[in-house]
Amino acid sequence: MKKTKLRKALGRAGIYLVWIIATLVVLFPIYWLFVVSARSRVELFGGPNLLQTHFFAPNYTKPLSSPTFQRYLANSVVIATSNALLVSLLAVGATYALSRWRLKGEGSIFFWTITNRMAPPAAFMLPVFLLFTRVAKVGDSSLFDTRIGLILIYCTFNLPFAIWLLKGIIDGIPIELDEAAFVDGASTFTVLRKIIVPLAAPGIAITFVLSWVFAWNEYLYAATLTSVNARTVTTGLAEFVTVTGTNWGEMAALSMVSLLPALLFLTLVQKYIVTGLTFGAVKG
Amino acid sequence: MGWGLIAPTLIVLAIIGLIPFFYVIYIGFFDWNIFSAKAGMVFVGVNNYRRLVFDEDFLRALWRTLQFMFWAVGSEFVLGYLLAQTLVRDFRGKAFFRTVHALPLMIAPIAIGATWRLLTIPGFGPIPYYLSKWFGIDYNIGRFASHASLTVVLMDIWHWTPFVTLCLLAGLTSLPKEPLEQALVDGANRWQVFRYITLPAIMPVVLTTFFIRVMDALRVVDEIWMLTGGGPGDTTRYIGLHIWRIVFPKTDYGYGSAMSLLTLYFTIVLCWMVFTAIMSRGQETS
Amino acid sequence: MKPKFWTILSLLVVLSTLVACVAPAAMPAPAQPAAQAPEATKVPAAAAPAESWFATAAKNASCVGKTIRGVAESTPPSRYAADPIAKEFAKETGINVEFETTSWDQMYDKEIKDMEANTGLYDFVYIEQDIVYAYLARNFLVDVTQALKDKPDLHFAGYDPAKFTTFINNYKDPKSGDVMSVPMESFVKPYIYRKDLFDDPAIKAAFEKAAGYPLAPATTFKQYEDIAKFFTQWGKDNKMELWGSTVQGTTGHPASFYEYYETIAPSFGVYNWGINKDNWKACVKNGGQMNSDRAKEALTFWTGMLKYAPPESTSSTWDEVAATMAAGRAAQGWVYGENTGWIARDATKSKVVGKIGVALPPTYQGVIDDAKAGKGYIGYYDGGAYGIPVGSKNKDCALLWLQYYAQEKFQADWAVAGSRIILKSTYDEPKVQELDKITNGYFTLQKDQGYLFAGAPAFPFHATIREVITPFIWKTLMGEMKVSDALDKACEATEAELVKLGYGK
Repeated sequence: MKKTKLRKALGRAGIYLVWIIATLVVLFPIYWLFVVSARSRVELFGGPNLLQTHFFAPNYTKPLSSPTFQRYLANSVVIATSNALLVSLLAVGATYALSRWRLKGEGSIFFWTITNRMAPPAAFMLPVFLLFTRVAKVGDSSLFDTRIGLILIYCTFNLPFAIWLLKGIIDGIPIELDEAAFVDGASTFTVLRKIIVPLAAPGIAITFVLSWVFAWNEYLYAATLTSVNARTVTTGLAEFVTVTGTNWGEMAALSMVSLLPALLFLTLVQKYIVTGLTFGAVKG
Repeated sequence: MGWGLIAPTLIVLAIIGLIPFFYVIYIGFFDWNIFSAKAGMVFVGVNNYRRLVFDEDFLRALWRTLQFMFWAVGSEFVLGYLLAQTLVRDFRGKAFFRTVHALPLMIAPIAIGATWRLLTIPGFGPIPYYLSKWFGIDYNIGRFASHASLTVVLMDIWHWTPFVTLCLLAGLTSLPKEPLEQALVDGANRWQVFRYITLPAIMPVVLTTFFIRVMDALRVVDEIWMLTGGGPGDTTRYIGLHIWRIVFPKTDYGYGSAMSLLTLYFTIVLCWMVFTAIMSRGQETS
Repeated sequence: MKPKFWTILSLLVVLSTLVACVAPAAMPAPAQPAAQAPEATKVPAAAAPAESWFATAAKNASCVGKTIRGVAESTPPSRYAADPIAKEFAKETGINVEFETTSWDQMYDKEIKDMEANTGLYDFVYIEQDIVYAYLARNFLVDVTQALKDKPDLHFAGYDPAKFTTFINNYKDPKSGDVMSVPMESFVKPYIYRKDLFDDPAIKAAFEKAAGYPLAPATTFKQYEDIAKFFTQWGKDNKMELWGSTVQGTTGHPASFYEYYETIAPSFGVYNWGINKDNWKACVKNGGQMNSDRAKEALTFWTGMLKYAPPESTSSTWDEVAATMAAGRAAQGWVYGENTGWIARDATKSKVVGKIGVALPPTYQGVIDDAKAGKGYIGYYDGGAYGIPVGSKNKDCALLWLQYYAQEKFQADWAVAGSRIILKSTYDEPKVQELDKITNGYFTLQKDQGYLFAGAPAFPFHATIREVITPFIWKTLMGEMKVSDALDKACEATEAELVKLGYGK
């Protein structure tokens, strides 16, 4: 008896040790990012001491008070939120369709949406750039440097992922519930609204959050397809790297700022992450 | 009705997904470099692809990426599984640890690259400084290829292990307890329980997660670019970055497009094998 | 839990919609309120004096209220161009100038994509001296001289190519001599050294004892090496974070290619990357110089300096080299001129304020004489200009902008902000002379001896060939390939790619 109790206690202690180490490992780079953001440029040249005693506020106030960066932030918020909403909406409809109807070639459709996410971005930049600037043109205005443009393009990798996540969850909602509602005279939309969405809420929440975070953090497409007006925070980060020296302090400050909304979301939905990520693989 | 519900999705994906895709296929048949003496596109048929098959730089980039994937994704799964197992049972502070653990997933890849660069840049970063001060190790990612490869793998592990942990945790928590308990009663040891009961049961989640990680590892660009720029030399010039350098600085659009397609094909083949495995497993478990 | 989630979600939706409405519209905003003069009104605003030439020209060209957009890096010179120069331009003419600031790589990608596809996204683009030939070969740019001839109304009397330093020659069409872009910055890449250390009596004595001659800025490579060795040892002995040389030796970025081919090789007498412009060959056996003995000597020397350079050198682009110097970690080195200003003056960014000196870089015997005779050059004359893409929809308005920033009245403060010069007269401005003193003669060097430096060779295939050669340079920096093999292989790869591009057979 005593042996198992000791073993249990050691096991417990072991788990705590593992997690404390894991937490330190996770937090150290972020801590360092914070330290860099709190130092002036000259201070960065001093030896890498790990403690930071004072705070160089201009690293934060300069970008945050500049109208350009405020616009970047606003753009990021709008683009990420709109894209997450759009993706969630489309994905719910699509997965419901895939789940309840025998659509011809559904396996291929499913697979084809996934391939959209597989494409290495580099070579697709040029066609997408041309699509936005030449093809999608109405008079003088094109999709280039617009928020709508980015919102749409982010669907290429957010939609497949969302469909994937939601498919299993919606598959897990018994079709009998639908049928019962139909018998009672409900339309498809009512079924969606009153039955599917509430039951799949954790999954939808996760889809929304993950899509939001991916859109918020995306760099390559945002850098290529925006110029002055629809620029996002992540592209703003790359601007700091110049021929005359990288302003690491401000870049770090902006990185920390861009971390906050994602952090906020994380704390809100951390309960649902685990259930949401089953990919419907395990039923019940 | 079914088609009606899925139509918007298909339309959006067709416009922004299919059209560029066809254009890339089209360009891949041309020799198109912005700054060549003969401006414009020159039709060369499948010559680009023929060149690619023998292109050492391309093949090496592919091989490097596979190695990176093996070490990074492999470690992520081992670590992720162990961490997930500890999270199955309750303990004080579990929610806190789990939330903190998921932090790296929320940071922009370019910021992660920048952070790790700040950590590891020789002369100014804390890691080389303390490694040399306390252990006398000369850690320099600009000079030693092995250091750079290791750092990139570590960065990826730091970034993506939480994803694997959470997915596997999801799978583990949905497992029915009876088979596990039955097996323990029957005298099976830990390894046997894992191999014959746990693993098969969570296989669909494992495969799906693996699938996603493989896809993303083959596409990685921003983080690596920020951290090493592909260096030293071409040590960390993985296929995503390699294609980017061919298409952009080198402005070799035709060749870059062909390379992209070949890589996509390669990814699809790799993932198709995993995908069919998921599908067949899915049928098995149900 | 559920209702709370939905509340927060809906709050976010509302918030983002609000933000979308309040934030500037997706389409370019019209000109600032201060300049919204409708064309009919000829009465000037109460505070403004008689209308400036630019304001009239803008009105006549129907540019008032328009927006021109340009892409540039976020460097001090460009930032100064954006604010205050562009802001004053907007006030005076009613033409709004938008700057898209981005990183070096991205800037070129986007310019090139825009010009290749003729999408007219940018009305002016930043063109560094080395890429202009590629653009000229593809007829990407508007001929400024011709445009001003065709439209005399747009020609500002104060704009005259003769007022510019010889740097403007880099932007002239080789056949017609027409100006294709208007320079906005130029600097040389000199040899920079720590004057305070070089003047220190203890150090001077110790050096003379060790090397046998007095300590002074290096003029030969042997001297450079002696100094580098000395200071590295000095740093070690005195437990200072000090090394004897900078090396722009990044193993993952083209910056190392540039230091070798723009700075080191020419000072050894290897010009134009070693490519023979007559037959487009690079290997010695075909008439090129890329793998000549001299080129190999140069590369051996330069990679040899790594052992006297701080550890970050193999991760250093121009960025980090400037930081290394500013942090006081190197006693001498080659640093781009645009950095001398802030390294010497700005205490928030530099630890060696007032301690910097400049000099001509060390050269191989005979190279300076060749340069003086116009047969060669000793280092890099860098700079940039703004040019107008052919596809721009606001060419006239952009032409006004190009002439506007070239006015004398902006140059002095601009030079102080970014240590750059475009007009000959700027050297005599008092503020510039003051900065010259603080940098111990940087502007004097550029003025009197700038002619010894040259820009990049006139290669339309600049970027493509650079990508081909750079991996070999990286390998020598990593010690993975011998210098001799690297250059032999590089010249062959270069020749192969050139043939593929249509140059040479």
